[in-house]
Amino acid sequence: MISTKVILTGSFGVGKTSLFNQFLFNKFSERYLTTIGVNVKKKIIKVEEEELSILLWDIAGEISQDKVPNSYFLGASGIIYVFDVTRPLTYKNLTSDIDYLKSKIPGVKVKVVGNKKDLITPQQLLELEEELSQPADIYSSAKTGENVEALFEILGRAILGKEA
Amino acid sequence: MKMENHSSSSQEALMLNHLKSILLKQDRQEIDSIKKTLYTKEGLEKEVSPLIEERIEYLKTNFSKEFGIHVDNVIEHKLEASKEQLLNVIYPVLGQMIRKFVSFQFQLLKDRIDQQVSSVFSTKGLIGQIKSKILGIRSSDLVLRDIDKPIIEEIYVIQRDSGLLVGSYSRQETMDKDMIAGMLTAIKSFAQDAFHVEKQELELINYGNFKILVQNFFSYYIAVAISGSLSSQEQDHLAVILLEFAEKDMKGVSLHLITSELTEEVSSKLEHHFKKDIFA
Repeated sequence: MISTKVILTGSFGVGKTSLFNQFLFNKFSERYLTTIGVNVKKKIIKVEEEELSILLWDIAGEISQDKVPNSYFLGASGIIYVFDVTRPLTYKNLTSDIDYLKSKIPGVKVKVVGNKKDLITPQQLLELEEELSQPADIYSSAKTGENVEALFEILGRAILGKEA
Repeated sequence: MKMENHSSSSQEALMLNHLKSILLKQDRQEIDSIKKTLYTKEGLEKEVSPLIEERIEYLKTNFSKEFGIHVDNVIEHKLEASKEQLLNVIYPVLGQMIRKFVSFQFQLLKDRIDQQVSSVFSTKGLIGQIKSKILGIRSSDLVLRDIDKPIIEEIYVIQRDSGLLVGSYSRQETMDKDMIAGMLTAIKSFAQDAFHVEKQELELINYGNFKILVQNFFSYYIAVAISGSLSSQEQDHLAVILLEFAEKDMKGVSLHLITSELTEEVSSKLEHHFKKDIFA
């Protein structure tokens, strides 16, 4: 089994902590969750018979240069960048944020996820895809649990170099 | 003439009474019925009881809404007025409780000292006396030190940047060690960024009777959770042992990839080094 550090980041209120809880405990809190600082939890996933121990760092708030301690990003093998499909402000800086993260941690595997999919129609999702400056890797709903396991699986595959 | 007048007025009165009894018959019957209801216990009870019951039921659920503020005011006023009396009642009770607790703790301390003193003539005691002569520490100080001696409860080797656990040893089962390693690293990182001290690092966390000592190395750090009192001499001694461990056991260990095999290997080395009492 290999251990790895994964960062969960994105704008304030996009549902990072809900995704974190859904993935780790298979539950979703209806309360509006905000994180103070950072929360660290562990989950073991299996990718093609290989076990991967993910130490998931749920980082609070914005990822901009001066708001999150730089050292929180150090040593991460993967980053999950979460945005809210219903709030354009949360994906406005998508490309520049991803570039910033990649410059901070060279070689890091980044997966972009549009969360709160349950709140929009398939037509709105198509319109959103056209609007994004770069495509999202997956769309999820922390509320219903849709694509949450799949998200961690594609990231796990990328970290282990087993992407299709 | 007078007689005729008198006779006609009494006739008029009779007729008036008759008329009254005809006109007011219904009203009088109603008054009688009300009197029966009001002036007899059974009648009154039958009419009023449902209303009272209803009001009681309402008050059961709405008492605080209706009277809460008034009750609070009364209690507040009463407490304020009788504060001195109240304190006079509570103080002796609290005093007794504190006295009992202090005497219990003294008894525990006394028992432990007795135990130490009784072992003075045992092999351990004699070794202690020789140690006191060599180190120049009074025997009594050695006895007192043994009562609250430091114990390494847990020790972790953690990858410096990622916070991934490289290996660990615990005397008792604790919560998930990977998560402890992650959170310790987050706290370390936070302290470093918050105080803008890039060249300095967190070295000690105190909580109650526990201490977490942090010894930093290039690609990893070692965190040691200790219970009991740790003197500066013991802290130096621990630092020397950690340096020895790093030099002998971590030399050549690649932390590029943290696998379960590596974690088992380092954990086993930690157990070998730190299972024994290094402060003996």
